Amino acid sequence: MLNFIVRRLIQIPVVMLVLSLMVVGLTQMLTPEQRAAPYIRSEQQAARLEQIIEERGLRDPFPVQYSRWFVKTISGDLGFSKASGKDVLDTIRERLPATIELTIITAIPILLLSIWLGTLSALHKDKLIDQVLRVMTIIAYSLPTFVLGILMLAIFYAYLGWLPGAGQLSIVNQFAIGDLRRYTGMLSVDAMLNGRWDIAWDVIRHMLLPAATLTIVSSASIIKVMRNNMLEALTSDYVRTARAKGLSPRIVNNKHARRNALLSIVTLGGFLIIGLLGGSLITETIFAFPGIGQWVVQAALQIDLAAVLGFALLSALIVVVVSTLVDILYGVIDPRVRFD
Amino acid sequence: MKKIAILSTLLVTSMAFAVAPKDTLVIQRSADIPTMDPGVTYDTASAEVVDQMYETLLTYSGSSLTKLEPLLATKWAISNGGKTYTFDLRKNVKFHSGATMTCADAEYTFERNLVTNSAESGNWFIAESLTGVQGNANDEKSVTWAVIDKAVECNNAGQLVFNLPKVDPAFLAKLAYTGQAIIEKKYTTGLGEWSGTEKDWKEWVGKDLTGSNLSKKPNGTGPYEFVRADANTFLATAFDGYWGKKPAIKNVISQKVPELAARQQAFLRGDADFIDGGGRSVDEAQIKGKPGVTWIDNLPNTTATAIFMNEKINPSGGLLGSGKLDGKGIPSNFFTDVNVRRGFSYAFNYQQYIEDVQKGKGKQRTMLLPDIFPGYDPKVKTYTYAPAKATAALKKAFGGQVWKNGFTLTANYRANSVPAQTAMEILKRNIEALNPKFKVILQPKQWSEMLAASKKGEEAMMLMGWAPDYADPDNFMYTFYASDGYYSPRANWKDASVDKWLKQARSTVNTAQRNRLYSLVGNRAYEQAPFILIPGGIDYTFFRSNIKGITAQNYNPMISTRWADLSKS
Repeated sequence: MLNFIVRRLIQIPVVMLVLSLMVVGLTQMLTPEQRAAPYIRSEQQAARLEQIIEERGLRDPFPVQYSRWFVKTISGDLGFSKASGKDVLDTIRERLPATIELTIITAIPILLLSIWLGTLSALHKDKLIDQVLRVMTIIAYSLPTFVLGILMLAIFYAYLGWLPGAGQLSIVNQFAIGDLRRYTGMLSVDAMLNGRWDIAWDVIRHMLLPAATLTIVSSASIIKVMRNNMLEALTSDYVRTARAKGLSPRIVNNKHARRNALLSIVTLGGFLIIGLLGGSLITETIFAFPGIGQWVVQAALQIDLAAVLGFALLSALIVVVVSTLVDILYGVIDPRVRFD
Repeated sequence: MKKIAILSTLLVTSMAFAVAPKDTLVIQRSADIPTMDPGVTYDTASAEVVDQMYETLLTYSGSSLTKLEPLLATKWAISNGGKTYTFDLRKNVKFHSGATMTCADAEYTFERNLVTNSAESGNWFIAESLTGVQGNANDEKSVTWAVIDKAVECNNAGQLVFNLPKVDPAFLAKLAYTGQAIIEKKYTTGLGEWSGTEKDWKEWVGKDLTGSNLSKKPNGTGPYEFVRADANTFLATAFDGYWGKKPAIKNVISQKVPELAARQQAFLRGDADFIDGGGRSVDEAQIKGKPGVTWIDNLPNTTATAIFMNEKINPSGGLLGSGKLDGKGIPSNFFTDVNVRRGFSYAFNYQQYIEDVQKGKGKQRTMLLPDIFPGYDPKVKTYTYAPAKATAALKKAFGGQVWKNGFTLTANYRANSVPAQTAMEILKRNIEALNPKFKVILQPKQWSEMLAASKKGEEAMMLMGWAPDYADPDNFMYTFYASDGYYSPRANWKDASVDKWLKQARSTVNTAQRNRLYSLVGNRAYEQAPFILIPGGIDYTFFRSNIKGITAQNYNPMISTRWADLSKS
């Protein structure tokens, strides 16, 4: 097992090297002027375009630009992100905990809800409940995130006033969090650790709408897969044998059928978490949630090279770590899977 | 059911606590705050917060763009034929750090701006006044430590003295610019920024201060002091030690909310006092007239925009087609004939642009200068949409060749810019309607690409604007009309008289004389028609009605709204 994990971790620099060559290489297809564009905010600044290109060495040949980036990265300096106005590393340090917080509050309901509804749908195949769930799934699957997000805001914030609007914290608590001792960077967790339950509740309330949006949109595909897997499992030989042995339907469904149906859900769950940790771009933007996703959108729009490369590095790390965990989880669910 | 009732009560109860308190101003912006270091502040989002935490030596008086009043200075004297400025500084002014402001702080501030003068900053125009050139020591050999050191000094009486290499009538206006706000020397050097001495000045030349240590820990003399900033939020609170009138609003929160719908909902619910809108058509439909909203219209706009007609089109841009007057292209010198330029100027439907793009809220200007700027002459004639006059002019162009053979003109417009596209389409339609042999092809192009191509003279015809750095006509007039002005490579228009008048206007502080010279330039430009003048927009602003302190009378487009002037009921 240890060998397996070490092998996976060694993959990170290799993946990163290839990724960085690709990203830096691709940016060479842009003109120096286009790459200088993130530094310009007005026509007056555009007057200094040539100096900006010179200062940043944007006309240098590809190997020179790449090695400059490489040397800095090796020494732990990922550069300055124009999109966040901070160093890339500081930006990730600041925003990743918020994204992790949103991932936790989102991924668990998505997985539990999808597994439950998928199972329910399969067990009641073609009955009313299955029909309703299938229609709902298709609607949720086809609904663009930005439409759903704005709709949620309009109903629950603007019209009903039940939940707070965009942001991570209410105005009244904004000044109060200056006194909080930060342990994890996750605001709700840190507030709890400081005994500030009011702030923790406030942060959680602010996450409800983005989490609900993500849950509705992301659950649909997992429900569909779970339903299909479950249907397949229910008609398989081992389930028939279990039934023939006289086991109760509950044990047959839950222990024999569902456990096997869960295998591909673990993989999908891995992708889901990778996606959420990499930032829920549209959701974070609509709800002004200060996570990685919002930053990446801005960085991509601005051709913020340092940010894009920093994000690529982070993504590579997330993919390798999460997929390693998924593979380990495979072994737990299916004892036939071994890594030695 | 019981559980749902409890949850709803809990949610609603906590919502009641979420409403912004009266002592707190809530602003929601679409963009982030790139920097809080005045030395590199050159965008409106940064300027809005820097203006509250820092102060300049002087500022605009009320809504006036011509009258300047003291802020951190108490008075000033101009001597040595307009080349020496001596400032008395306000006493007992405290920085947020607790230190008292001295002349050394002001001297350090200006020297730091001259030393760094990075491409990202707006320091090029103060450098032009104080060192004689726009660039920093890396760009210009003439910029030495001795030049910078001599440019700004403290005399024995503790006065701040500026020594200009030549007269600059715009110098005082330049000092009112946010980027020239005073910072504390000891505090800033303590953060690891430039030491303020010759020892390490070279290391700081051209350095981008956007993410400087001072930007992370701002410290000014302004009415608000910095509390905290995170990914999406900026917090400030009223500074107890402020020398001036204590602000009525204690706390300010500026939040970044990229989504317009989310901002609008917060604003209409009263959770945000100010928001970034979505442009006139959106805001008029969704914000104006709603309960609790104050809308102020007919405010001055300080952007000047024109369609450039390039008189020396660089063929490497590939826009000339056949390159001849054979109906399949245009020659490189197509716009050198004044009749072509006049013909195009008469073919633009100014009123239609005002209706289509500015929703009826636009105004034709006589010069490429905002109409509230000093030097603007409303008496200069303007072109109107007159197809008959356009036809007459184009029939004369190139001895009748243009009319007889026709042309195919390819022009680019800034991609995703609806106003630019609409303006070019109006022109295209009207030109093509004059003669079936006239053909205009429009293509979208990325802004950065257009900037680069136009600088090389490759764009045949394009729309571009300019917003002011300081309220002096030179900032617009020289930029657009001088043959060595910033926009000259885009238009390649050269007129010896205009160049002479613009240089004369730069070298005198006599306002009446300068105004006369700018009128001459305006009249000459009307005759020669180097640009098609796009009507100026009319600005508006809106905010929650419980905010007091903003009126059309005190609105000044050159500076951010001072939070310290506001109150909330």
